[in-house]
Amino acid sequence: MKTRKIDMSLSEADMTPMIDIVFQLLTFFMIAINFENTKADERVKLPRDMLAKPPEVKPEHELVLNFGFERNEDGSKKNAIPTIFYNDRYVEVGQLTADLEQEKRVMEALHGKEVIDKVTVLIRADSEVPTGLVQQLIKKCQDNGFSKFSLRATAEEK
Amino acid sequence: MQLTASQPTGTKVDVPMAPMIDIVFQLLIFFMLNLKILAPEGDFSIHLPQGEAKGENLADVAIKVGLRSDADGNLTQLTIGNRNLGNDEAAFERLNREIQQIVGRPGNPVVGDIEVELDADFETHHRHVVKAISSCTGHRDPQTGAVTRYVERIKFAPPRASRA
Repeated sequence: MKTRKIDMSLSEADMTPMIDIVFQLLTFFMIAINFENTKADERVKLPRDMLAKPPEVKPEHELVLNFGFERNEDGSKKNAIPTIFYNDRYVEVGQLTADLEQEKRVMEALHGKEVIDKVTVLIRADSEVPTGLVQQLIKKCQDNGFSKFSLRATAEEK
Repeated sequence: MQLTASQPTGTKVDVPMAPMIDIVFQLLIFFMLNLKILAPEGDFSIHLPQGEAKGENLADVAIKVGLRSDADGNLTQLTIGNRNLGNDEAAFERLNREIQQIVGRPGNPVVGDIEVELDADFETHHRHVVKAISSCTGHRDPQTGAVTRYVERIKFAPPRASRA
């Protein structure tokens, strides 16, 4: 019986094109990734506006407060009363005082007593949150010594 | 003088590529998993909200913009002073034109002294307030994308009581 000999010599695949592509992908993802937006909470559906542009100068110190509704997977509201998403907890505006005091203490311990005048409170409020509650939130922050406020919106292109 | 050139040995040095490829793939997976495609966000500053933060009135001229709404938060009336501008998208464009007329030409030195006070019903949806702030803050040319700034100083009137 005849047997066919198989050539066992190793044929090395050319890795250069694959490495090229992988480096291209790596560069793309490194550039596209935005660590700045890690504080952005996707549960908050921000209002959209044409004039909303990313600030040219980032505030030295900021406190981001995400204010929105607990939502189901389909986007419907689970709870009609909006809450602050604070450290994996849902806190109503009226119960936020202790958390704001803690934020203030931590900031003062890290950056000194005067830091509170330089902190910008960045309010990321859902587009359907009642304005009265946003004003109550601002008032609560004022009562705790914060004095600079910004309302955040998503940039809209037309 | 005799120049001695080093003799090339001719041996090929194989750089091990496997560890580098491993690390590059690890990095690639890390960045792929961390990538979040998010629309850029911008801020609207509020100066002296509630109108009583520092106990002093910095503005020489205050424009009063009112937002009336129903119990569900839908806008029913947008006003400037005592004038009703409507309750649709065009109302915000009218507000923008009114502010432009008050401010006059862009870059007017008096602009810095003008302040807008927003008086919104408790239930008014936040998006209407942001839209009103945007209409007072400036105008963006849809063709060129150039932004003309009007009023930078926006504050809230004391909050109104809830209907509930």
